[in-house]
Amino acid sequence: MKYMILTFGDQATMMQERTVAWVKEMIQFMHGLNAELQKSGEWITAEGLADATAAKTVRFQGGIPVPTDGPFAEAKESLAGYWIVDVESEARALEIASRIVAFVERPIEVRQIMAAPPDL
Amino acid sequence: MKPTTDIEGLLRELAPQVLGAVLRRYRQFDACEDAVQEALLGAAQNWPAQGLPESPRSWLIAVASRRLVDEWRSESARRRREEASAFDTAEPSSEWQAPEQDDTLRLLFLCCHPSLSVPSQLALTLRAVGGLTTAEIASAFLVPEATMAQRISRAKQTIKGSGAEFELPSESERSLRLSVVLHVLYLIFNEGYTTSSGPSLQRADLTTEAIRLARSLLQILPHEGEVAGLLALMLLTDARRAARSDADGSIIPLAEQDRSLWHAPQIAEGVALITRTLGKAPVGPYQMQAAIAAVHDEARTASDTDWPQILALYGVLEQISPGPIVTLNHAVAVAMVHGPRAGLALLGKLDSDERLALTHRLDAVRGHLLELAGDEAAAREAYQRAARMTASVPEQRYLTLKAARLLRS
Repeated sequence: MKYMILTFGDQATMMQERTVAWVKEMIQFMHGLNAELQKSGEWITAEGLADATAAKTVRFQGGIPVPTDGPFAEAKESLAGYWIVDVESEARALEIASRIVAFVERPIEVRQIMAAPPDL
Repeated sequence: MKPTTDIEGLLRELAPQVLGAVLRRYRQFDACEDAVQEALLGAAQNWPAQGLPESPRSWLIAVASRRLVDEWRSESARRRREEASAFDTAEPSSEWQAPEQDDTLRLLFLCCHPSLSVPSQLALTLRAVGGLTTAEIASAFLVPEATMAQRISRAKQTIKGSGAEFELPSESERSLRLSVVLHVLYLIFNEGYTTSSGPSLQRADLTTEAIRLARSLLQILPHEGEVAGLLALMLLTDARRAARSDADGSIIPLAEQDRSLWHAPQIAEGVALITRTLGKAPVGPYQMQAAIAAVHDEARTASDTDWPQILALYGVLEQISPGPIVTLNHAVAVAMVHGPRAGLALLGKLDSDERLALTHRLDAVRGHLLELAGDEAAAREAYQRAARMTASVPEQRYLTLKAARLLRS
């Protein structure tokens, strides 16, 4: 079963709230976690997103698609990065997410990817 | 996966025999499995141009053994080589001639070892017993090759660490271990039984592979009723594959399928197999599911379906293997025999069942029965709830369309 594990937040808030040592530790933690998931054969991909302040939104305006600045969602709600893992169960996906939550002390979203085989 | 050519078919058939022979001599499952895989790859590359060697099996054993010995000659692996040569002298040469079928069975038990996670059991079985390459398995499960390679290598480490041996489980463990093997084959089949077209066509090979493995298991254990039941269930289910989805991959439910597209020889084989099995071995859930599939497959039109017989069979299945999914299907049979309201009443018992709380199936069936009962508004809501909960794209599309059609009418 494949799951997407999503993290939220922005760089400005992180730099305000966290020490440089913490950020370094966090990077190490993420590297370690990725290596572990690769080793267990559960890792599909993981990416961090560029900060949301540089994001654009293409809107439907006057009948045509128009690129605009934004979104201007609350910083804590903007997507910061994601993992895609292929695991045995939802419980295992939640376990991986819990490890990240225990480190970053922020909420993480876990979404199943539409890939399940249909019923017989 | 490429279409199975003659050589590819031969290699897949020989894979467990060769691995068994090499394992009996050199013991180390991980190293032996790697060596055999390399020998198989070499054969797949060379044989089409050079032609088959006189004895393909001996050629593969020789090449795999040479790779092992080459590896062990390296300085860093000296200790392992010494261990291996200790085994070497301990093994009588007649061991090379042990029955090949026993090897396949031992390998199946090893690859479906309880210390492994289910995805690992599936992957390792396909590689070590099925003779598929890592790339083929990765593509069938839609994961990167590196992920699958790591999963397989991890599984082999786990087997090493668990101390599991290349031998048959004890009498007391045997039936439990066999049920794990059957479950793994069932999951491989289920994974491949998809209705999508395009790249997913590769996944159909998984059903073919699961059927092939079940077939060879039945050859080894002809008197195990559940092995026969599982093979029959696969044959009878897979026989409907061509009719099960339309050109864009949308699901066509059983009642609306064009039955002329069903694969008649496979139905005949499945029906014959389950008919001669029932009553001769202790009855089990795979046999009962196969018997039910056989009744469906034997009906020339949906309205010819012998629902009273299916209802009776679900009654038996519910006794020997009770569970919410069985009750769910039982309710459909009740509805077909005694009317949708009777089926809905049985479904009501499942509302409090936590095991179904997070699946779409309860609401999908409820929607169907409500639709039959003429309660379109409630049916639409049930289909919509089910569509939100399924993780299968074709099923989501099917359920959404069901709800949308009711909206329009």
